[in-house]
Amino acid sequence: MRKRSKRARQIKALLLFGIVLVLVLILIVVTVGRQEFNAPHKFALELIGRAQSSVTMATNFFSTVRDDYVALLDVRDENKRLKEELKKFKTINNQYREAVATNVRLSKLLGFKQTMESPTLTATIVGKDPSLWFKTVIIDRGSSDGVQQGMPVVTEAGIVGQILSASPHYSKVLLTCDPNSAIDALIQSSRVQGIVKGQGSGYQLNYVLKNFAVREGDTIVTSGLGGIFPKGLPVGTVTKVTKSRRGMFQEIIIKPSVDFSQLEHLIIIMKENSLAE
Amino acid sequence: MLTIAFLLLGAAFLVIQTTIFPLLPEWMGKPDLLFLLVVFIAIRLDIFQGAVLALLFGLMMDIFSGVFLGLYPVIYLLLFFLLKGLAHHLVIDDTVHQAPLVAASSLFVNSGLFLMASILAPDSSLDWAWRDIILDTLILAVIAMPFYHFCTHFHCLVRQGIPKPTLTRSKTGNRFR
Repeated sequence: MRKRSKRARQIKALLLFGIVLVLVLILIVVTVGRQEFNAPHKFALELIGRAQSSVTMATNFFSTVRDDYVALLDVRDENKRLKEELKKFKTINNQYREAVATNVRLSKLLGFKQTMESPTLTATIVGKDPSLWFKTVIIDRGSSDGVQQGMPVVTEAGIVGQILSASPHYSKVLLTCDPNSAIDALIQSSRVQGIVKGQGSGYQLNYVLKNFAVREGDTIVTSGLGGIFPKGLPVGTVTKVTKSRRGMFQEIIIKPSVDFSQLEHLIIIMKENSLAE
Repeated sequence: MLTIAFLLLGAAFLVIQTTIFPLLPEWMGKPDLLFLLVVFIAIRLDIFQGAVLALLFGLMMDIFSGVFLGLYPVIYLLLFFLLKGLAHHLVIDDTVHQAPLVAASSLFVNSGLFLMASILAPDSSLDWAWRDIILDTLILAVIAMPFYHFCTHFHCLVRQGIPKPTLTRSKTGNRFR
């Protein structure tokens, strides 16, 4: 009798496991084709996103207080050094102004059409991906600000990622260093094209034939062909080039122009059809 | 009540590990508290409450981590049922088994994530980074005992019972009952 009831329990547990597994597999099949957040996902992101914002604000406040205290300790030396740097940068700035003025004059002479800058939106990171395997961040801008899936995200240093999903007030950004990210890029000096793939902490430039000369220190910029990033944004610098005997392509390692561990504020480049325009 | 309490606890852990833990130095790692909670509910809660919580925690992780929706629910549910199955035959609830159990579960989850992400996106260049995985597993194994101590107290508190800390718990004669 006891044996029979034990067996019935086992069958019940197996059935439950089977049902749950099937439901989850259905869930995967349904969501894998369309990687967008549905209503419960958005609701959860809104709720937890607010908590993330509050905690991030609190940690920022405490780290600012700590930084201010540390900065006070050697403020005199810092001030002296900064004054010297200011003098140096004023000189450099004057040179840049002259270069820009020359550039503008030459552009007009050549009859280049002046392009309008795309509208942008600043955002703050409120949460980072806790996993070892993926590189995503949560930002405090969402669909109510005009953010849409696929919009490029950058900083002044270079490209950062693209919008993966958005709820009304928060969005998830897939960083370009994520192994699932791939962007079309080119070597600035030689104009050789390739695909930049994320490697977790850095990038690898793929599909560059061996007969093209690539040197360490070469700058990589976006090609504008992928349809996501505008042309000419900094991607990184070549740090290692390997030409193995086998295969057609070179193995090119790139150091990102952006320090992903220090990211705080981001710039979203709005598309033409966005609500912000 | 118990399910809601653990759901809120899981949400709090998720907020902590996505906002505060990234500020920690690299050598301290980023312990996945939500994963530890899944292991805890698998060995302490009943099958229905536990399965619902594992599924909800997986859905929550999907929002804040990764690019494939549905990946974490599958992994967490598989882990949950695996541990439930093991609990029928082995005394995995025992304090001395917590660290190795967490380490083995961590390796299982990482292998599952790596395998499924590789299948779902064959073009992605995922690397099996032994150093990071071992560091992560070690950190989880080290914090497992105090974490489960806390969770046991929380569990008892929610049930309005008297807390029974596992560290100082006297063992019964028949430990394999």
